[in-house]
Amino acid sequence: MSVVEARRVTRLFPMAAGPVAAVRDVSLSVADGEYVAVSGPSGCGKSTLLHLVGVVDQPTSGEILFESRDVAALKEAERSRIRLVRIGFVFQRFFLLPMLTARENIELPQAEARVPAADRRARTRELLEYVGLADRADHLPSQLSGGEMQRVAIARALANRPALLVADEPTGELDEQTGGHIADLFDRVHADGTAILVVTHNPVLAARASRRLTMKSGSLVS
Amino acid sequence: MTSLWLAWRTTKRYRVRAVLAVVGVAVIGALLFDMLLLSRGLLASFADLLNSGGFDVRIVGSEGMPIVRLPIAGSTRLANELRALPEVRDVVLIRIERATLWSNERTSRPVTLVGTTQASGGPYTIVRGDDLPRDSSFDRCPILVSRHLAASLGVEPGSSVKISVNPDGVRSALPAVSCRVTGVVNFFFASAGENSVATTMTALQQALSEPAVDADLILAASQPATGPAAAVRAIHRVRPDLRAYSNEDVVALFNQNGFAYFRQISFVLSSLTTVFAFLLVATLLTVSVNQRLGEIAALRALGISRGRIASILLWESALLVGGGALLALPLGGLLALGLDHLLRQMPGLPERLHFFVFQWRAVATHAALFGVTAAAAAAYPMWLTARLPIAATLRREVVG
Repeated sequence: MSVVEARRVTRLFPMAAGPVAAVRDVSLSVADGEYVAVSGPSGCGKSTLLHLVGVVDQPTSGEILFESRDVAALKEAERSRIRLVRIGFVFQRFFLLPMLTARENIELPQAEARVPAADRRARTRELLEYVGLADRADHLPSQLSGGEMQRVAIARALANRPALLVADEPTGELDEQTGGHIADLFDRVHADGTAILVVTHNPVLAARASRRLTMKSGSLVS
Repeated sequence: MTSLWLAWRTTKRYRVRAVLAVVGVAVIGALLFDMLLLSRGLLASFADLLNSGGFDVRIVGSEGMPIVRLPIAGSTRLANELRALPEVRDVVLIRIERATLWSNERTSRPVTLVGTTQASGGPYTIVRGDDLPRDSSFDRCPILVSRHLAASLGVEPGSSVKISVNPDGVRSALPAVSCRVTGVVNFFFASAGENSVATTMTALQQALSEPAVDADLILAASQPATGPAAAVRAIHRVRPDLRAYSNEDVVALFNQNGFAYFRQISFVLSSLTTVFAFLLVATLLTVSVNQRLGEIAALRALGISRGRIASILLWESALLVGGGALLALPLGGLLALGLDHLLRQMPGLPERLHFFVFQWRAVATHAALFGVTAAAAAAYPMWLTARLPIAATLRREVVG
């Protein structure tokens, strides 16, 4: 069964010289527990596709079905709820809240989902151990390395046990070795049954996926 | 993890911005608080001054503001008639004259001489010595002198002095009468440097060499059960040719005329300071939100609701404005003391009159204005984040 399905989606951006199609007539399905990587040159529309599948953007035409629900028919509050509890986001620039510790950053989406405090604390401890940062729980992002910040961001994305983890260039800001550790972590997440859609330039990370797709000029070519 | 807690952590994180905002709001708030104190302070102080004598109705023979005084014909008989009214508890006659007081053959001062039928407990506080005697038959001219006059002439309770009255518009040849200082006092209505003397109406008659002296001001105390308004109506029925004003009437007259200037100034300045506070906090919050757009878009992508982000911003604004507004109270209080001291240097003002008077009403208005300011200052950043396009912002952040 598909977690998310894009049916012939197109995303146009209005420009002064006329609309530009960042994504053109793309169909894509990510099945339960599947690990999909999308690669391609810069500006080919990978991130735009990820935003459409991750329910943060709406296609100009075509349909996005998340767990069989037409995303376009949902209100913003419902889409926000899907992002909170069914989708985990990992960003290239981590986007951890700088005033919160690693533990608090992981607790935040759980608090928003009204998870009881005791369950929240237990889940956060579990995730910090999962990403190997149990001893860094009370450190602020400014006290963590890039790799550690990305691991906290992955733990935050997994906090509400999402069905789909979407990652936009998760190793883009990291060196090769640290990127390798993040790729290992994605393998573990996949092995634990979470579907992953990752957009990356990193061939090592893309190679770990069970299905690899390439985009060019807004279309999937393979 | 409440919105308030997140706002507090954000405020702590951006400490310099927070300190600048709080200090800015505190300085602006101090001015606002002072303007609020000024808007009603003079009036409150004036009302307090009027009420301090224990009389709540003033009867004069002239029209308009009860400060221009004409003698009230037959005032002694009138006082007896007023005392008989069920709405009136007590009546006191007052006559004010210009006079000269000699402490010896060579040293004299021009003074304001107040003759009163009030036996004791007049509009003054005794600094040294005794009040005017209840029965003046043993002391033909007992007087109370203001502290300033006592110091300037070196007289003390028990000192003998001479007084000659100089009635307005009359070239006086009245003989000086010998008087005895019974006490040194602070007059409620006298200005700091004013030379004032109070004596009994009998003594004033002797000084004027007249068998009877008409009062130019009659003070009445109403019965508590009926109140001053009923007393004013009753007095008007007895003598429709006179003007009777309750203390509230006098305050209202001054509010419309004499003090309107202060009220208008304070309204304009408090409006301006509120706008400044709004602009300061709105600017800081907007700049801060613009610096954190990527972070906010990421939070929205993670499923944090628009409402939650808006409430965090509202709390941030409330913390900055609230912190500043709280600091503004002691700061404004200190500033008000200084400004009050400066303004009270104006000549001719009663020593007990203040321009800035603490009132809980001013604190409540201050809090309400800043509450509205906090909400208004957060409105634009809240609107900005509510309309934030998540995908476009994330894309810009990565490209940027």
